[in-house]
Amino acid sequence: MLGATRLERRLQLSGILLILGLLVEAACLLARGPIAFLVFVGLGGLLFAAGMLLYLYSLVSTGVEPSEK
Amino acid sequence: MMPAETALIITLVVFSIALIGVFVARPEVTTTRGGKIVAFLALFFLPILCGAMGFSTEMDRSKTTTFCLSCHIMEPYGKSLHVDDSGHVPAAHFQNHRVPPDDACYTCHTNYAMFGGIKAKLGGLRHVYVYYLGTPPAPENIKLYEAFNNRECLHCHAGARSFEEGAVHTADPDLMRAIKTNKTSCISSGCHETVHNVGTLKDAKFWKEAN
Repeated sequence: MLGATRLERRLQLSGILLILGLLVEAACLLARGPIAFLVFVGLGGLLFAAGMLLYLYSLVSTGVEPSEK
Repeated sequence: MMPAETALIITLVVFSIALIGVFVARPEVTTTRGGKIVAFLALFFLPILCGAMGFSTEMDRSKTTTFCLSCHIMEPYGKSLHVDDSGHVPAAHFQNHRVPPDDACYTCHTNYAMFGGIKAKLGGLRHVYVYYLGTPPAPENIKLYEAFNNRECLHCHAGARSFEEGAVHTADPDLMRAIKTNKTSCISSGCHETVHNVGTLKDAKFWKEAN
């Protein structure tokens, strides 16, 4: 269920990206070998970075964007 | 069995997912002051902590001998560590624990200079690219990207009595300086030239490690 405001939707999307990143991390830690390392660094790192940057962006953008009804 | 370190990270990951899940399901809880603080922990602090711990674990794993030898093309190099010949440099180091057996490849093939570990890992990425997307050479045709630097040997041997007072090393006063400045190579000068030599393994005698 999507949030009512843009901020809430951004937080939700950020959370989903971070959950995916954490799932990738868990899977790579349970697996072994060069491919797991690459997936962790590449895909996991990308999801972590996107999730955290979106969260930070949602914080700094709250002051300039009015809430939606 | 899962190592304790991995189990701890997995537990932290599960806890983080559960906490983040609350904010995905109920994002309106961030309207309160307490909700904002917990959201910062869940959406920023915990992922950084999990990511850093996971990265550290993955980096440690990527230095292990089993990690390096997990690629089929590296199997002969792993086999060469068991050659029964004291003049075979990698085998003598591995068998006598002059390098940690669990990190044998990385100990000699990293770069003991600033950002050397990162350079070694970037070299590893190139290996993976060639292995999966390029045309990997036959094991006996694999060459180092650049000549082996004495710095990697001296990281352990410099200051050691066997090296500093070795009869050959001290016979010529200029030799020690040439070795330490990498002008005379430990390997290609012919003194310690027997390295992996995977092309000749079929004729080699192997040491059987006692279990």
